Amino acid sequence: MTTTISREQWGSRFGYLMAVVGAMVGAGNIWRMPYVTGENGGGAFLIAYFLLLYLIAVPGLMGETSLGRHTRQGLIGTFRKLYGNNRFVGLGLVILIFNIVLMSYYSSIVGWSIYYAFHALIGTFTQTEFDTAVLWQNFSGNTALNVGMHSIAMLMVTGILLLGIKGGIERLAKWMMPILTIALIAIAIRGLTLPGAMAGLEFSFSPNWEYLARGETWLAALGQALFSTGLGWGIALTYGSYLGRNDDIPLGGGIFTAIGNTSFGLLAIFAVFPIVFAFGISPTSGAELAFVALASAFGSMTGGYLWALLFFMGFFFANLTTAIAITEVGVTTYREEKSTGRSKAVLTICGIIWLLGIPSAMNADILGYLDFVVGNWGLPLATFIIMIAIGWKFDASRLRVLSLNRGADLYVPKLWEPIVRFQIPAIMLGIMAYFLYSNLSQTPWKTVSGLALLTLLIPLCMWIMSRRRDTSYVTTPAGGQPS
Amino acid sequence: MSLSAIIVMTASIIALWGVATVALSYSLRQEERKLALIQSQGDFEPLSPRAQRDLETWLARHPEEEPAREVRELLELQQQAMQHNPQRFYDWSTIDEARQ
Repeated sequence: MTTTISREQWGSRFGYLMAVVGAMVGAGNIWRMPYVTGENGGGAFLIAYFLLLYLIAVPGLMGETSLGRHTRQGLIGTFRKLYGNNRFVGLGLVILIFNIVLMSYYSSIVGWSIYYAFHALIGTFTQTEFDTAVLWQNFSGNTALNVGMHSIAMLMVTGILLLGIKGGIERLAKWMMPILTIALIAIAIRGLTLPGAMAGLEFSFSPNWEYLARGETWLAALGQALFSTGLGWGIALTYGSYLGRNDDIPLGGGIFTAIGNTSFGLLAIFAVFPIVFAFGISPTSGAELAFVALASAFGSMTGGYLWALLFFMGFFFANLTTAIAITEVGVTTYREEKSTGRSKAVLTICGIIWLLGIPSAMNADILGYLDFVVGNWGLPLATFIIMIAIGWKFDASRLRVLSLNRGADLYVPKLWEPIVRFQIPAIMLGIMAYFLYSNLSQTPWKTVSGLALLTLLIPLCMWIMSRRRDTSYVTTPAGGQPS
Repeated sequence: MSLSAIIVMTASIIALWGVATVALSYSLRQEERKLALIQSQGDFEPLSPRAQRDLETWLARHPEEEPAREVRELLELQQQAMQHNPQRFYDWSTIDEARQ
């Protein structure tokens, strides 16, 4: 029998769109994009970024969502439908493992944002003479507290996923994404009224055209366009599998997802850098920007309690919706593979992630190492595998005529096919090669060990799935006849 | 702020917030139209004229291949919807005019 079990569907178009944008809008949009933009030529970077967004992220997301909608399966089920019941199904398992590892350390970041949202709520940042750098150092150095916050983050994710696609993910996203938007707009308006705020916009938008001729600018834009939109991680595929047969994909799953996600990055530029420059803080990115610099600036602002609360609650919402999406990839797949109920699948996957996440919560070096391996090679490899599956195994032409243009609000022409077949896989290979070249001399041990892990993972997963084929499934390939 | 920064900022707002807002509102309106058609006549045609033509072209090129079965099923679904439904989701006016 196939593992096709009765599937929930998104309850509304708005709910699906908020859920999928919420999945893609995460920490990177808020604490990374403003700085990357300013550091890479401002307007020049944005031009490179827009081009790559439309040339890669939009068509790629269309393909991934469309494949999920067509197969109506999670990761492994989709690969089984495409390749038949053989060892190549292991490629789906490889992507699933990347997702679980990614979530194991991302939950720590969700935990950080919960901790700071709590401090914003109790008014810590507006206390007189309060030092945010000390708070961050104390928090970073407290292993038990970090494990505790990681556990709270996973409990929240578990609770929401137990409520299902419509009752949990969709309901949450329908509230959280509009609140995040309003929060960022309010902070941006406040920030822009501060003296010296315009210097922040000048830093972010002032175009240095010579940066367009630099390879580093294009690579930074490519990294932001790919990793920020979550292309090829199985999220769009999983969320797409819950769409109705005649629901639109090109406009909602492609253009709105990619552009809507980037719109939050632009909103973050307006919300973050005017405040940073108004308070004479050195522009930076990551935890240093959010948890030290901005927290300090909010404490010094009139009405700082409100602004800190809006920012850290919004930041927490952005991280939580992403964490839910990454975990759902595993939940959907486990549920189908084991033909089990949703509750059991949620508890199992969240339990595994919680256990695997403890080392990252205890030691920032482990978190950094996993981020290095997954970010540099794991996610580009996942995107490469999915695009090859769409473009060559399923056939991009067949997917376009059969699924992508079905019920579409926007017609997708033939030009889409070579982009998915050649352009995106070639760029992924190029990215992995560049990361190897640029990291090998600087961090040889991390690079070699990370690559060795990945190299072993692929044959191992293929071996595991080839052993399972005799015992578990008879499947129906996407072409139709049972194999 | 410099003029060039203002131009880039304005263009970014239009290219991102403008496109996202238009895409969201258009998508929601189209969904309302689909729901209205489902309520009034049960279903609607799943393919636009161009998408139908692409599907027919694909089938003509790959008539014997295994996936042709599901392509035929979708075309059949399209033909049934076109025959039975008085109201259309996609704009068929140019095709109808050409036929007349």
